[in-house]
Amino acid sequence: MIAVLGLVLGVVAGLLLRPEVPAVVEPYLPIAVVAALDAVFGGLRAMLDGIFVDKVFVVSFLSNVVVAALIVFLGDKLGVGAQLSTGVVVVLGIRIFSNAAAIRRHVFRA
Amino acid sequence: MSDNDKTLRETPDPQDGTPRTTGGRTPEVAPPRRPEAPLPERSVPTAPVGPGPLPAPVRAAPEEAGKAGAASAAPTTDGAAPAGAGADGSDGANRSAARTPDSPADEEAGEATPAGDGPHLTGRQRLAAGLWPPRFSRAQLIVALLLFVLGLGLAIQVQSTSDNSALRGARQEDLVRILDELDDRTKRLEDEKQRLEDQRTELETSSDQAEEARKQTQEKERQLGILAGTVAAQGPGITLTIGDGAGAVESDMLLDAIQELRAAGAEAIQVNGVRVVADSYFSDVGGAIEVDGKKIDAPYRFKVIGKPQDLEPALNIPGGVVQTLEKEQATATVARSEKIVVDALRPVERPDYARSSSQ
Repeated sequence: MIAVLGLVLGVVAGLLLRPEVPAVVEPYLPIAVVAALDAVFGGLRAMLDGIFVDKVFVVSFLSNVVVAALIVFLGDKLGVGAQLSTGVVVVLGIRIFSNAAAIRRHVFRA
Repeated sequence: MSDNDKTLRETPDPQDGTPRTTGGRTPEVAPPRRPEAPLPERSVPTAPVGPGPLPAPVRAAPEEAGKAGAASAAPTTDGAAPAGAGADGSDGANRSAARTPDSPADEEAGEATPAGDGPHLTGRQRLAAGLWPPRFSRAQLIVALLLFVLGLGLAIQVQSTSDNSALRGARQEDLVRILDELDDRTKRLEDEKQRLEDQRTELETSSDQAEEARKQTQEKERQLGILAGTVAAQGPGITLTIGDGAGAVESDMLLDAIQELRAAGAEAIQVNGVRVVADSYFSDVGGAIEVDGKKIDAPYRFKVIGKPQDLEPALNIPGGVVQTLEKEQATATVARSEKIVVDALRPVERPDYARSSSQ
């Protein structure tokens, strides 16, 4: 419940405050968001499975974000930033889908 | 937790000795249906923990088995995911159960323990339990903080994307084309601006010239109007009054006076309310004097605009107008004035034959 509140608060704060993103961070933000989403879906699935461990969630969340940003950064440096970003999004999207399927089975039993 | 899943997923693989492919998972779906198969498999990791947590995975196993059974009815691709979830779930439950003694204050691990205790606690029930009542534990707060950051990033990204959505999705060549078009358009507009500015400058100059010409024309019209007697005039000058007690004054004397005044530089003259201009004439009609056909009576008052210092001596010179008049028993007085108003007007007459040749 607190976690859901945190998410809602974050969205509201982002919409209301309209903070300026530094130009350095800007290209990494979307991919980091997707990575974090993946971590969140994984965490939700683990919670439904009854195997949620907060420490693992925190570490996976942060490492997901960092690794995703790192991949994009590396891709930019190598000149394949767009392709690598697409790859990361595809991989994370597949994971999100599989996690969402598991969550769906828990919640809707179908 | 996805990394958690990953690490966990890797863990059972060596134990199971099954490759982590979709095909490899299908046997994992199968074992929970056969109660004998999964039990030894799961007892391997739980064994070091002790007998306490042992029931948790064992009871979790049928639960997952039921799900996996439902999943097997579903399409295979979807069914593969819960199969993996089943494997992860059971193993993860082992792990969280193993963590329970390590961190008793750990809320989520504590949550996992009732999950083990309550064998019929489904995912939906866990979700409901997690949502309500809210618990302010360290784990919840940390997760809330991370989700807050996620929501923040999400909102920022969504907003920055919707800001300039028209160009964001465009391909590079499209962007280049748009840029070229914009450049062309800018150039065209600059040219047009330059042209219009030139035109404006031209119009301003010409209108200035027209204005100047109009002013000059007005000035000229005024000057000519003074000469032609169509406008009133004022300025320094003199007043010449000729008294005619004996009736000796004739028109030629007045004409002499006019000639003298003109020679002395008179610019505007009127006699008893009649403007004297270039074609004015004096005549004697039955003992009276007419100017331009209008009868005037004595005393004759000449209002003259000109330089008083020139006009007065011109009249008073020996043998001049004043002396001649006095010789004829008339009186003549000259008075200087700083402001003489000549306000008698002549109508504007259009010449019958003469036309301006300047146009």
